Amino acid sequence: MQPSLGQILLVDDEPQLVRALTPALGAAGYEVSVAASGQAALEHLAGEGCDAVILDLGLPDMDGKTVIARIREWSEAPIVVLSARDIEQEKIAALDLGADDFVNKPFAVGELLARLRAAMRGRERRFSARARFKAGDLEINFADRRVFLQGDEVRLTPREYDLLRALARYAGRVVTHRQLMAAVWGPSAHMDAQFVRVLVGQVRQKIEEEPSAPRILLTEPGLGYRLVAEDDGG
Amino acid sequence: MRAFPDSRWRQPHQKRADQLRGLWRYGAALAIVAASTLVAEGFYRVFDTTRLSMVFLAGILITAVTLGAWPAYFAAAISFFLYNFYLVEPRFTFQLVSAEDVLVLVVFAAVAFLTGSLTGRIRDQARQSADRAHTTAALFEASRELSAADEEDLIRGRIAQHIAQAARGEALVWDAGRTWCAPIGLKPPPELLEALASAGGGEHLVGPWRIRPLRADGALLGVAAWRGPADQDAAPEDDPLVAVLADLGAAAVMRARLAAARSEIEAMARTEQLRNALLSSISHDLRTPLAAILASASSLKDFGERFSPEVRADLVTTIQEEAVRLNRFVANLLSMTRLESGALDLDRQTFGAAEVIDRVAVRFERPGQPIRRDLTDGGLLASGDPILLEQALGNVVENALRYGPAGAPVTIRAWRDDGAVHIEVEDQGRGVPPADLDRIFEKFYRSPGAATIQGTGLGLSIARGLVEAMDGSIAARARADGEPGLVVGLILTGSTPHAA
Repeated sequence: MQPSLGQILLVDDEPQLVRALTPALGAAGYEVSVAASGQAALEHLAGEGCDAVILDLGLPDMDGKTVIARIREWSEAPIVVLSARDIEQEKIAALDLGADDFVNKPFAVGELLARLRAAMRGRERRFSARARFKAGDLEINFADRRVFLQGDEVRLTPREYDLLRALARYAGRVVTHRQLMAAVWGPSAHMDAQFVRVLVGQVRQKIEEEPSAPRILLTEPGLGYRLVAEDDGG
Repeated sequence: MRAFPDSRWRQPHQKRADQLRGLWRYGAALAIVAASTLVAEGFYRVFDTTRLSMVFLAGILITAVTLGAWPAYFAAAISFFLYNFYLVEPRFTFQLVSAEDVLVLVVFAAVAFLTGSLTGRIRDQARQSADRAHTTAALFEASRELSAADEEDLIRGRIAQHIAQAARGEALVWDAGRTWCAPIGLKPPPELLEALASAGGGEHLVGPWRIRPLRADGALLGVAAWRGPADQDAAPEDDPLVAVLADLGAAAVMRARLAAARSEIEAMARTEQLRNALLSSISHDLRTPLAAILASASSLKDFGERFSPEVRADLVTTIQEEAVRLNRFVANLLSMTRLESGALDLDRQTFGAAEVIDRVAVRFERPGQPIRRDLTDGGLLASGDPILLEQALGNVVENALRYGPAGAPVTIRAWRDDGAVHIEVEDQGRGVPPADLDRIFEKFYRSPGAATIQGTGLGLSIARGLVEAMDGSIAARARADGEPGLVVGLILTGSTPHAA
């Protein structure tokens, strides 16, 4: 038996999905607890705690968004949201309330595990002072604000750099338009998502081989953007 | 638009009657004077007095009060002549000699004038208020009737009738090539129809016909045309009433139109609501089994070798069960679509309901989840479509399983009564409030307190649709033994082996 990668709380009221997910999460190295309602999830979290939460937004007793808000009142545990809903607003609200990422139903377990890994890693790194970021050909040196592509330096404007740094900080996870605006223009900036789109376009021109078919800086339609996850061990 | 002449409402053929009545009134005045003369003659014979001007004065007074000013003047003149000729000495001569004679003449004339004009004014006022009452009554009647009507065609027909009545002639309402005539069967002349088709501006005349567009809120809602009695030209004094009627009618048409638009919008909103409910149901009910299938299958693919055989079997079972569930949901969606579009294929035949019940029970039975069967006989021949019954009964049983506590038995009872086949499904769930027993068959109805239970609110509505398509019926009731739980009963037309 390998050492546990962490305790996962799976919050879902659909038994068939719980049955389908539990073995894979276990095989991937997590210990799994299950809560079938929002209340049960909050109680479990307060009692035993956990290292990450997988939360279905459609819960019988309370809105999944409420659960996120309640967890975030006192816990920083990473939350990955499962959502069968097509409503972008729902996901944006969940992310703004503090969810770390989401997975659209239906999904393959590989996708869920990748998001879960990124969310848990992001939590670790948010509080660690790191000097460098490396994902594939892209390398960012935070100390002197320099960006390299395949070893060659890429010249970015200060705003372009701020955008890239914000995405790199949460690499592998979705970053919403609003979060990006706050990172680039300041927390009180209220502007159209169009500004972010234009800036992303500029950054893509400089770091993507084929800017119209991005491989590094990916679009999450309606929500925001996602930078590819950092190389393992980087 | 030209302003209508400000005249009061008067009936057109009353003019002639007025003229006739005028002549008659002078005759009556003459009669009253003759009567005065007879009375004076009587007094003269009995009391031998000639101071009888008062008798004539009384006659003039009566004439003035009852017949009006002009007959009173007439009576005054005749009375004076008669009095002077007949009673004033020298009798049977007419002369104006004494101051008294002149005084009598002046008094007669003054009484006739004062009383007559007073009476005339009162009479005019009375007639005016009668006319006003008539107008008010006509308008009231029209407005009451028009506001009660909510169909445009009906309103147009009524406008024509009211206008024809007010004009004492004929009227019609024209809109986009259609006409509503009063009296019904009126054949409007072609040149009038042409004029109506091109009308749209103000109000104008075509021959004896008066034309007025029906407008409300600036929208042209048709054109009204009317004429007075056939032997008269359009009577301008009727215009104000007719104009008000036309406006009233236009407002009513507008109101009907708005009401129709509103109910259309409401219907659209309801459709939209249903569609949203359906979409979210499809989104949830298709994705949940799909999510379980995809998660299980990808788990097996990624971690298959690391799972124990039991876990692998469990995942495969999940895939199978969820695929079956998905299939059931798709079948229900298809049935609903067919039921709503009326494209349900009904293969009516005589079949054994017991067999169908058995198939449904076997399909839903699991270890630890018994489905009891309580059938009076093994045949229970019914008339209908066994496939539709299986789906309907399946939906009812699935519902019973879902709302009952896990593992609590669900009972299917069936018997034959009065030529019909009765099937009942009884669960041990928490039941449904009595007021909602009918509503559980409505599309997307979810029982209060059922929010924690997965479900779409489609199953029972489809079951009802299917059973009713077979001329059967379905109803829900609380359990007869007082325990919590719901009983859903289906009644199908029975069939005897002989009839089959």
